[in-house]
Amino acid sequence: MKRIVIDPFTRLEGHGRIDIFLDDDGNVKNAYLRVPELRGFEKFCEGRPVEELPRITPRICGVCPGAHHMASTKAVDAVYHVDPPPVAKKIRELFYAAHMCHSHIAHFYALAAPDFVLGPTADPAERNILGLIAKVGLETGTEVLKHRAYAQDIQAVIGGKATHAVCGLPGGVSKAITEDERRDFEEKSKSMVEFGKLSLKIFDDVVLKNKEYVDLILSDMYTMKSYYMGLVDANNKVNFYEGDVRVVDPDGKEFVTFKPADYLDHVAEHVETWTYLKFPFLKKVGWKGLVEGKDSGVYRVAPLARLNAADGMATPLAQAEYERMYQTLGGKPVHHTLAMHWARLIELQYAAEEMLRLCQDPEITDPNVRTIPTATPDEGVGVIEAPRGTLFHHYQTDEHGMTKKVNLIVATGNNNAAMCMSIKKVAQALIQKSKEATEGILNMIEMAYRAYDPCIACATHSLPGQLPLEVVIYDSGGDEIRRLSQHLS
Amino acid sequence: MKTLILGLGNPILGDDGIGLRVTESLEAELSGQDITISESNASGLGLLDLLVGYDRAIIIDAIQTKDSNIGAVYRLGVDDLNVTRHATSPHDVNLATALELGKMLNLALPQQISIIAIEIPPVCTFTEECSPDVEKAIPLAVDMALAILNERQERR
Repeated sequence: MKRIVIDPFTRLEGHGRIDIFLDDDGNVKNAYLRVPELRGFEKFCEGRPVEELPRITPRICGVCPGAHHMASTKAVDAVYHVDPPPVAKKIRELFYAAHMCHSHIAHFYALAAPDFVLGPTADPAERNILGLIAKVGLETGTEVLKHRAYAQDIQAVIGGKATHAVCGLPGGVSKAITEDERRDFEEKSKSMVEFGKLSLKIFDDVVLKNKEYVDLILSDMYTMKSYYMGLVDANNKVNFYEGDVRVVDPDGKEFVTFKPADYLDHVAEHVETWTYLKFPFLKKVGWKGLVEGKDSGVYRVAPLARLNAADGMATPLAQAEYERMYQTLGGKPVHHTLAMHWARLIELQYAAEEMLRLCQDPEITDPNVRTIPTATPDEGVGVIEAPRGTLFHHYQTDEHGMTKKVNLIVATGNNNAAMCMSIKKVAQALIQKSKEATEGILNMIEMAYRAYDPCIACATHSLPGQLPLEVVIYDSGGDEIRRLSQHLS
Repeated sequence: MKTLILGLGNPILGDDGIGLRVTESLEAELSGQDITISESNASGLGLLDLLVGYDRAIIIDAIQTKDSNIGAVYRLGVDDLNVTRHATSPHDVNLATALELGKMLNLALPQQISIIAIEIPPVCTFTEECSPDVEKAIPLAVDMALAILNERQERR
């Protein structure tokens, strides 16, 4: 049996690995995504005052600190049974919409678009943001950096710190927004709405007007039927900050809508020996392995899943594009993994419109930003839509608010099964007997993975964990000929 | 000349936070001087934002190399960065790419960027402590940073 290892990822570097196992005929037998382990995060949190967790959990990784801060803040609200005043929720939402813009801009322009603008099989030396800017123009490059910086500015002012926000407190936020700040945010948000339009136009010009790419999006190898999960508001519209968790089945019908606090009734985690990352699945469907379809509890999160799980977008420009996407791609739900990029840009548009709406809300500068908690703390769940999908934080404390137990289900974990399956499907389609696995083919396999915008560093965080020692022996051709494994528990 | 000293790392991921520990020590050494000392765990485009507007920068970070010479302190240039592991992220470009982009778009980036990298073992456990072998490197890295500051002052 031959093995092809993609290690490291060109852009999603070093933290993850894809192993592809070939059979004797040279066809793909299996493909796995493996992630290294970061241990002890839950343990690290235990014994600490629970209100410190919104400042500790963003340190899990550098990719989505804003999402962890907000999920954690909401979990701490729940632990203290406190409802923040309306303005505090709006300030958090404004911060969070900016976080979404920041993250989605980076993903589209630095990680996703190069595959389409330069071509999926282009030389990796050119297939990056530099090649992209060289092709679409320096002006666009300047706009990208400018709007990323705008989103960052808004997060930094509200968050109180550049990267790791400290604004979230049980029952509200630490400070109000001044009128000067509001005016500044409003200008930036107006510009962001235009930038959202520009980004969708670029997607239209580069991807949708190119039949080859539309065919690629619609191709079988990048299509997978699964359940979809996302937070929705009272009207079943996409919401990043709060609402109920809605799940639709592979036919697009509502399977269940549940309160965040009930997540353990609906989500369970399967463990495999070959990876540290668990496989969450829908409890009421059951774990049937890494298989597609209605009988398998595998579900997906992230932008496309959110759009599939909802009935629409709450803002007009995003809603128009939402309708266009489903018309173009054959109705709901869309199972095409690469459509994740389109969905991400629709969310960028929505986040920008939300920012503007919130900045223009007359209440946004209200100084009453906190409800002081008075109840005895015990247990709480906070759920938020991270840029890469649904994120659960669940804390238990003693009566003094000292953390006893922490459970996190992160977005990349939710997508673990789906990512493995997506990778295998592309590998099976492209790597066949007597066909060389070129750099271009390997990139097209990575594209299946990249669409999910995974963030590996925070996806593994269990203690106690097993420490496997693995020695893999390759022959001179790079083929694996022997493997020695040992588990130290 | 506007100078930035930037420590990179995660303060709760053991040895990964060594860059921040070095920066803390430097803060004491350089108090009163007109130098910005800052900390971050940003990468790629995020670092670009932090570097804009400075004439020179010293970045201090953890590194893992094939030699696994724990506690060794290396002085690197930007061109060496393609091979480091912690200067990049799964959601971003690496620093070399970010800097190239900055040049392309005419951003006011530092003319001189030095990198001080401290070799660490693989990190896999959340803790606020650094391992003793890595901790020993702090004074070496501090001296290296001070030497870099001086050499440029002489040149000036």
